[in-house]
Amino acid sequence: MRTGIVVGATCLLLGLILVLGAGDDAGPNAAVVIGVMTGAIYGLVAVGLVLVYKGSRVFNFAQGEFGTIAAFIVFILLEQVTAINIPYWVAVPIGLLGAVLMGLLMERVVVRPLMNSPRITLLVATISFALFTVGMEIILFLPEAKVLRPMIAATDAQGNPNGPEIFHYFVEPQNLIALGVLIVLAIVLGYFFSKTDLGLAVLATSQDAFATRVVGIGVERMSRFIWGTAAFLGGVAGIIYIPISGTLTPGAMTTGILIPAFAAAVLGGMTSLPGAFLGGIVIGCVQSLSNWAGFNYSLTVGGIVKPLSSIIPGLPDVAIILVLLLILLARPQGLLGSEA
Amino acid sequence: MSAAATEVLEPVKAGNPSERWTPSVQGWVARLVVFALIFGGVLWATAVVPSYWADRISLAAIYAIIGLSLNIVLGYVGQVSLGHHGFVGIAAFVAAYYATQKAGCTVDSCSMNTFLTATAVAALSGAVAAMLLGLVALRIKGLYLALITLAYGFVAERSIFEIPFLTNGGAGMPATRPNGWATDREFAFLCFIFLAGVIFVDWRLLKSKVGRAILSIKHSEAVAATYGINVTAYKVLAFSLSGLFAGIAGSLFAFHETNVVSNNFNFANALLWVLMVVVGGLGNRIGVVVGSAFFALFPFLLILIGPLDHFVRNTLHREPDYFTIVIGSGLAILTLIQYPGGIGEQLSPVTRWLGGKPFSMHPEGHAKHKKPAKSKSGGMLAKVGLRHKDATTEDLDALGRAVESKEDGDDG
Repeated sequence: MRTGIVVGATCLLLGLILVLGAGDDAGPNAAVVIGVMTGAIYGLVAVGLVLVYKGSRVFNFAQGEFGTIAAFIVFILLEQVTAINIPYWVAVPIGLLGAVLMGLLMERVVVRPLMNSPRITLLVATISFALFTVGMEIILFLPEAKVLRPMIAATDAQGNPNGPEIFHYFVEPQNLIALGVLIVLAIVLGYFFSKTDLGLAVLATSQDAFATRVVGIGVERMSRFIWGTAAFLGGVAGIIYIPISGTLTPGAMTTGILIPAFAAAVLGGMTSLPGAFLGGIVIGCVQSLSNWAGFNYSLTVGGIVKPLSSIIPGLPDVAIILVLLLILLARPQGLLGSEA
Repeated sequence: MSAAATEVLEPVKAGNPSERWTPSVQGWVARLVVFALIFGGVLWATAVVPSYWADRISLAAIYAIIGLSLNIVLGYVGQVSLGHHGFVGIAAFVAAYYATQKAGCTVDSCSMNTFLTATAVAALSGAVAAMLLGLVALRIKGLYLALITLAYGFVAERSIFEIPFLTNGGAGMPATRPNGWATDREFAFLCFIFLAGVIFVDWRLLKSKVGRAILSIKHSEAVAATYGINVTAYKVLAFSLSGLFAGIAGSLFAFHETNVVSNNFNFANALLWVLMVVVGGLGNRIGVVVGSAFFALFPFLLILIGPLDHFVRNTLHREPDYFTIVIGSGLAILTLIQYPGGIGEQLSPVTRWLGGKPFSMHPEGHAKHKKPAKSKSGGMLAKVGLRHKDATTEDLDALGRAVESKEDGDDG
């Protein structure tokens, strides 16, 4: 019920901005489109964070690196294996498999031994694992930036954009894939956690591990499942996002995406999957709208008219953090948060 | 039931001085010699190694100060700070800005007074920046506080470090080393002096009432508050002190680099700093210093082992620097899972011996008949200067646990 109201209100708000800005080339319309597109990526990572939080009650700092690893594997298969020409649709599942294996490894090496230790300890452990992965990426793939090509090229051979134009903004096909994947995942995961036995077992584990064990559900198995799934989601996010961002460097997903994704997950309530999707979209829009505002609004400082973006450097990032702070201080359970 | 209240309890032993084991004269001499050897060895090494090594050694000293700063938040207060690059960076820019823009240091010359003032101003700015975070920490704890500190560092990285007048528009703010301490070797000794000062302050403070109060807050805020400890004030104080140390480190870092650019302070650095404290041993001063120095010196330590260095460079074609993160984080995982005490715990027989106790692998090895201290809060509170006439340490501990589980239940 509340989910419906909040989602409806958000859509209405975004729609209102679109309607008000229609017909104005410099209006916020394009910003909203960009916001929804980047927000979809934040949502994808945030869903993984929420899943892990539901299962292990910890913030997973390695969530971004699942994506970077997957992207690196895809890159190696596509660009550096020259003996055979591997098509994209073969490389992606292998990349995702790599991410899932990494998730399972992390569960076994770091999470399981520390399952009963203070959460802060486990948090530091996920940080260690994330940095370990970054370090391995540096050693294996060198720190130089690489370019992973998108699944569908942004422009065709003549230089015409492949994607549709929405409000004077050419949406890349990759962005549409991200949005599509996000919507499909939202429906699948929503169904999974409310209707299937396995999904309910996962939720039960997160609420009371002991009671769950008593009724005959293997807590370790659930933990493995959660980390594997979270890694899979992280891998999907990485493979989709890295071509959009343009550069593939070690730790790319951690430095670029992780913090907005945390903001999205917290905004959504940290325990709510629809909340994470919605939070992602909202954070994406906050970021792009404040970026737009930074260039379109100005203040007079000392007699000189300056755009907001030069008065406050990094305005979009500051806006995200402000949202995060406000949510944490005023409504720690987020928009859609609840138990389990 | 009522008997428990009137029961006369055995007073808590505060350790009778006359019973305490003390080393003989030869023992003291041996300790002094070993201490002098370690201490002198470090100074001698700094004096004779090549200049670029001395440069790295001063970085190790700076890392050690950062480690001690983080240790206050992580080890003493029990919270995670993932935004320490924010404090260190702000202080570094403030120090450089003061020295270059306000005090008129040129690329060639900068007076010692300017350096000291710049460091003082930077330390103050770090303390203020951390105090703001401490105020937030009063309302938010645990994982969410970690997220806030992360956000703090993120804002510093993306916004504050991009302010044009502070960073010179990305070109960097110059900070000339003070006259007379300008070479790498001299600057390393300057860093040592500051490190010694920070260790001394940290040590004395932790031994004082303030330090014990801060430690008791870590164990249980509610129990601490019951004993009249001003949780709010001490928490903010602990954060401010951490920021003060971070500020000193930031200023030294600025003059070490001689040109501060925002790239020096990023998210990955802050994470690595947290790990070096964990590897060093939470709350263990000497361990943290050794751990931090290890993280800073690691690529150079690899060079010391010739064949390994050759293997890395010529067979793997990788820079030794690349391995810092992997080895560091791998050690951190190992520490968390297998050796929670970190390097400090492994070194503790030696450090205890140096401190005038017998050489033993166990903390109270010389008094085997004593029961191992079960209680933390009770003992801690006794140290704060409060007498617990009406409760045993076990009672207090049970109370602490009960209050904590209540708190956890409320949070959930």
